[in-house]
Amino acid sequence: MIQSVDSDAESAAPPVQPAPVVGPERRRTRAPLRRPRALWDRRRAVGLLLRRDLKIRYASSVLGYLWSVLDPLLMALVYWFVFTQIFERSVGAEPYIVFLLSGLLPWTWFNGAVHESARALRVDGKLVRSTNVPREVWVVRVVLAKGAEFLFGLPVIALFAVIYSAEVNWRIVLLVPAIIMQAALLLGIGLILAPLVVLVRDLDRVVGILLRLAFYASPIIYAVEDAPGAWQTVVSFNPLAGIFELCRAAFFPGFLNWQHVAQAGVISFGLLIIGWCVFARLERTVLKEI
Amino acid sequence: MTQSPRPADFLGQPVISARNAGIAFHKGRRHRSLRDLILRGQGALRSEEFWGLRDITFDVYPGECVGVVGRNGQGKSTLLKLIAGVLLPDRGEVRVNAGVAPLIEITGGFVGDLTVRENIGLMAGLHGMSRQSIAARFDEMVDFAEVEGFVDTPYKHLSSGMKARVAFAVVSRLEEPIILVDEVLAVGDKAFRRKCYGRFEELIAAGRTLFLVSHSEKDLRRFCTRGLYIRDGSLIGDGPMDEVLSRYAEETADRARA
Repeated sequence: MIQSVDSDAESAAPPVQPAPVVGPERRRTRAPLRRPRALWDRRRAVGLLLRRDLKIRYASSVLGYLWSVLDPLLMALVYWFVFTQIFERSVGAEPYIVFLLSGLLPWTWFNGAVHESARALRVDGKLVRSTNVPREVWVVRVVLAKGAEFLFGLPVIALFAVIYSAEVNWRIVLLVPAIIMQAALLLGIGLILAPLVVLVRDLDRVVGILLRLAFYASPIIYAVEDAPGAWQTVVSFNPLAGIFELCRAAFFPGFLNWQHVAQAGVISFGLLIIGWCVFARLERTVLKEI
Repeated sequence: MTQSPRPADFLGQPVISARNAGIAFHKGRRHRSLRDLILRGQGALRSEEFWGLRDITFDVYPGECVGVVGRNGQGKSTLLKLIAGVLLPDRGEVRVNAGVAPLIEITGGFVGDLTVRENIGLMAGLHGMSRQSIAARFDEMVDFAEVEGFVDTPYKHLSSGMKARVAFAVVSRLEEPIILVDEVLAVGDKAFRRKCYGRFEELIAAGRTLFLVSHSEKDLRRFCTRGLYIRDGSLIGDGPMDEVLSRYAEETADRARA
């Protein structure tokens, strides 16, 4: 009796055969070329998130502004103390505090943006899951927010330049290409890291360690030409070398080496293109994992 | 308001059109850590996958109200997410030719530390609402959500009912022609639910396209004219809501008996 009912049910609701999946081949990449346009169309979303980030950062605490410059400022003071008071300074140039700050401020932008964009998709998982904005927005927004903090920090350099009466030259306009190149570099790195960190959790920590190493591998407390012999070539291939030289050119034109700048440009925009493709390629997998 | 075609003749281009859409998920965990990746090597990379949805093909025309039925875990919500664009199909395509207001995981995007006012601005903006419309509809949203006194309260201090109401008020006021609803009708108390129903009816009357996933037969009958029946990731029924529902009821009853 029960048996027959069972078979009746079987015939009424036959288990769906795993239908062969037909149609176009499994899709891999989502047209990376069409995406910049989609991103541009939704630029208002970036603006909104940016304003939210800055509001949380600056409006919620009186010390907001101070916090964003405190880190590079304290670091600069520490290195200034170590390298001019304890050791005899043999790297960089006078005034060393200005030299340090003009490297540390863009480094703080780099460090913060890489750190946060690596976690961008994971931290805001709920937002990513519930809104259909181009997913690149989550990385772009971090790079720009940290970039804004960098800009807010520039007056600090000006302050020390005045105190030490450092001479400024016209090359201060090179800040503009420096900012563009660093933004491209950060976007590239962020677009690669953000989806990877979703898929491989502890990559996050590796990023932290690598960043700490990168601090010493980048010409921040020294200049490229302070590196001995062959190391100069090695250090010069760090895209930050060329970028920092542009940042410093207003006060230290002697360190500006256009070959380094060219290398930095190629690497930055190369990474941006690679990052763009990696992100487009991993997006569908990442969306399932968030 | 969007143009409102009479629901009787769904003319024009489909607003949603799925062609052989399929999406695969991994049964096991994917590699979650570098350690696994290195120690287990390539083997850990591909766990067994299964097709959460396969070979889904249908068209939805402007002004249609479509209900999706099926048991838990058969792929209904996944379908909704594909239409909302928060998941991407692995095969085939899901083309959506108009803006979408997704009532899916609605409270998910709200930020605890921001006030209700800031959250409304942020969420409406992220869903593509212009600044002017947000300003124009702000009071309406607050009114609908019944949170007049809490506009400048951080979102995290609201009760869970209030949170859901705010979220619903925002997303249901987006000026998008397509509305996706994932069982949010269960939100809130009776009075609020009645209000939600009213809102849906307004939207339908205005010619919006509604896509509803629900287990409530009453709701489905009330709002939807067409039904999609999903089982084991496949679309096995597409027709008038009543027919689809009775087929679904039959099969569930059979299953319960068996």
